[in-house]
Amino acid sequence: MENNIEHAKYALDAMQTLGADKAQCTLTNSIKHELNVDANKISLLRTTYDTNLNFKAIKDHKQGTISSNKLEAETIRACAKQVLENAEGGDVDEAYDISCKQEHQTFECGLNEADLLKMHKHLSQFLKTCKKRYPHTILENVYLDFTKSDSTLLNSNGVHFDASKGIYHLTLMFTSKKGKNISSFNYTGYSFEQFDQDLIDIGMIDTLLDQSSQQTVLKPVTEKFDGEIIITPDCLGNFLGITTNFLSDAMIISGTSPLKDKLNKSVASQKLTIKDMPISENLANKSFYTHDGFVTANHSIIQNGVLKNFLLSQYGENKTSFKRAPNYGSHLVVDAGQTKLQDLIKSIKKGVLLCRFSGGMPSNNGDFSGVAKNSFYIENGKIKYPINETMISGNILKILKNIDGISKERINFGQSITPWIKTHGVTISGKP
Amino acid sequence: MNQLDYLKQFLPDFTQYTELRMHENRSTSITFVKGNLMRNDSSTIGGVSARVHKNKNWGFASNPQSNDEFVRQTIKSATQNAIFLDSRSTTKTQASALPNIASSSQNDFSTTKKRLAQKELITFAKELDGHIEKNYKDLTSRIVSLQCLDMQKTLVTSDGSLSHSMIPRAMVYFSFSTEKNGNPVEVYNLKCDLGQFEDVFQAPDSIYPQFAQLYEHLMKKRDGVFPKAGIKDCILAADLAGILAHEAIGHTTEADIVLGGSVAANYMNKLVASPLITLVDYANTAFGKTCPVPVYVDDEGTKASDTVIIEEGVLKSYMHNKESAQHFDVSPTGNARAFQFSDEPLVRMRNTAILPGTSKLEEMISSIDDGYYLLKPSNGQADSTSEFMFGVPLGYEIKKGKIGKAIKDTTISGVAFDVLQSVSMVSNEMHWDSAGFCGKKQPMPVGMGGPAIKCKVNIGGR
Repeated sequence: MENNIEHAKYALDAMQTLGADKAQCTLTNSIKHELNVDANKISLLRTTYDTNLNFKAIKDHKQGTISSNKLEAETIRACAKQVLENAEGGDVDEAYDISCKQEHQTFECGLNEADLLKMHKHLSQFLKTCKKRYPHTILENVYLDFTKSDSTLLNSNGVHFDASKGIYHLTLMFTSKKGKNISSFNYTGYSFEQFDQDLIDIGMIDTLLDQSSQQTVLKPVTEKFDGEIIITPDCLGNFLGITTNFLSDAMIISGTSPLKDKLNKSVASQKLTIKDMPISENLANKSFYTHDGFVTANHSIIQNGVLKNFLLSQYGENKTSFKRAPNYGSHLVVDAGQTKLQDLIKSIKKGVLLCRFSGGMPSNNGDFSGVAKNSFYIENGKIKYPINETMISGNILKILKNIDGISKERINFGQSITPWIKTHGVTISGKP
Repeated sequence: MNQLDYLKQFLPDFTQYTELRMHENRSTSITFVKGNLMRNDSSTIGGVSARVHKNKNWGFASNPQSNDEFVRQTIKSATQNAIFLDSRSTTKTQASALPNIASSSQNDFSTTKKRLAQKELITFAKELDGHIEKNYKDLTSRIVSLQCLDMQKTLVTSDGSLSHSMIPRAMVYFSFSTEKNGNPVEVYNLKCDLGQFEDVFQAPDSIYPQFAQLYEHLMKKRDGVFPKAGIKDCILAADLAGILAHEAIGHTTEADIVLGGSVAANYMNKLVASPLITLVDYANTAFGKTCPVPVYVDDEGTKASDTVIIEEGVLKSYMHNKESAQHFDVSPTGNARAFQFSDEPLVRMRNTAILPGTSKLEEMISSIDDGYYLLKPSNGQADSTSEFMFGVPLGYEIKKGKIGKAIKDTTISGVAFDVLQSVSMVSNEMHWDSAGFCGKKQPMPVGMGGPAIKCKVNIGGR
């Protein structure tokens, strides 16, 4: 860390010496150990060292940024010169700024070192278990990595943060094949601090593999109808991402967000509370400061259906009349509901358990359409069969309003926690 | 000493099959949103990597520092990683050497013109933005974004390949927004090509005709209608045909995806598409011209060759790296590509295109009684089953052989091999989309191309 601070200080000094009115430098040094599985076999071990050195300079209310991954003094000086040139070539904008003076803080989460033998042992065991339980499922790719990163942020207002993280990440992508029949691929991913359980027992992994093994023979829904859907925790992340994008700098500043006039107004069912919790004790992968130099804090985005915060950065705040958010939507946690998942399913007359959604970018008014993947048709409270070639269309804002129930059960992905959500008012169209 | 000569010094350090690569990506990003300069950034990310193969086990290591000490350390670390996996492998058979089509190649597309400074690039983008603001008053928002990426790679391999390349591309993206009844309506277009900015773009006013055309589309889309959901006769314009070729067919025929369970594993030498369809992944040159993303030697050191994936409707080949070629007992095709210095090469497409046919676009439109002419994709995803979905932000109705009203944003979907079976006309005009960025563990610039095709496809709507 000492070395990090010295390099970051050198970069900050170089920008100030060259005339920056305000400057910020962030430096991250990381090492990643990653085991890769291809088609059920551990095939590759990667060890990658990396550096990420970011410069931000403001001069005469003009701003430039630059990034590099070299730490030689000569390169740092050249970057400082270039970032000033970038700034000088830019536009005057009074909204450009750096964060105000805050107390020096040091943050930590996770471990210091990878346990490579343990990684290999757990991954080998996972492959064996999968082969035994799901002999027709092919693990196309699995990536198990441990990434240790040491970061420093300094700015010319005296801000100084250090953060050290060491977290495991598991990502898998899989397909099932019986004879010539194959399923759609599916995927999921988790972050965690310790190997305190078998990989197959983490979150929804076993459930998704089981579902995949049932999905080699598929059929489309045979009609078009306005139906109900239950969005699974994996799939919900997709819809939450669309929603939080509507609250971002670009969409609020440009005025293209459909939620631009909705602060402190009802935008969803009262059942829905979405929080952004970068420092939650329940999340393995935390985030301690924002890219623009503020200590993060947990906050509510939607509280009981009411929009409480846009996800604006300091720049967004300065460009609008709204407040900067305590974090910018990177760690979403949806409150648990009152209903058991099984009861949510039982309450559906005709609809779809939406496990993955392959959809186009929604319109700026929230209209979306796409294909229900790895999903199941539900009728009279029972899951009937896995489906394909079935499209789901609707409006994201309407389905948030139409939420009928939220499950008691939730899945912790390490950087987000989401439940199952039941909603209605979507068009489900299959193949007649 | 040039980079090739520098890396050759380390050949004696190789103890197994080894690839040693120095790799630098340089990018520039300038974005105006509604006149606000929201991004004014440049970046240089590079370093050295080594990949080592031992008995079907790979070790990889990379480091951003690339002096003698770090290069040696990187080779050693990659070798140790391969040995670590080999020592724990349950299959102890000695693997045969990987197939090798060694090549020596140097290809540099750097401009010979004076490089523009960031300030001049910002001025260029600002002039574009100013023109839009001045001439199209009823827009509620606009984006002008200038993106440049130079990828420079130098590679030596233990089986004799030596390669150096600098492949740049430059793009200007622009999107226009307006509103109707409080609902936002948006369209976008872009200009992108192989080359550094100075070679791709001349003056801002060369782009103005595209602005006028886009504005016209926006005004029509503002009064657009929902398409009627269902399976319809559609003409997919070149950009959509290109993404269909890439996403929905191309990915299923990447050999690693085939081994992972792709439906294409069942189809080799079978009729999978209309005989009007020939689909090729070009390495570097097509129709007598350099492709948008030329690859001469891939990142395993294989001389890149064109891969004819579908020939007159029949599936003929997969795309391979060395290991998959060995598995299928064919020659490697030069499809192994890595995005960053810290990335291992994966089987990736290069310039994937459906070949043009003989029909004229006007004839194709006039042949449809009730259908859609779909012009642009937004994003696309496809499956190992070849089931695909593409967002369509720009399209028109076709009614009784004539272009009708614009349609609102929609999605098309289907099973790509079924859709290609339904192709009944292929236009005689070829168009490359040079701005493609494919995602598969790592991002990767790709070219996608095609003519317009007439087919049956499931369109979302109401």
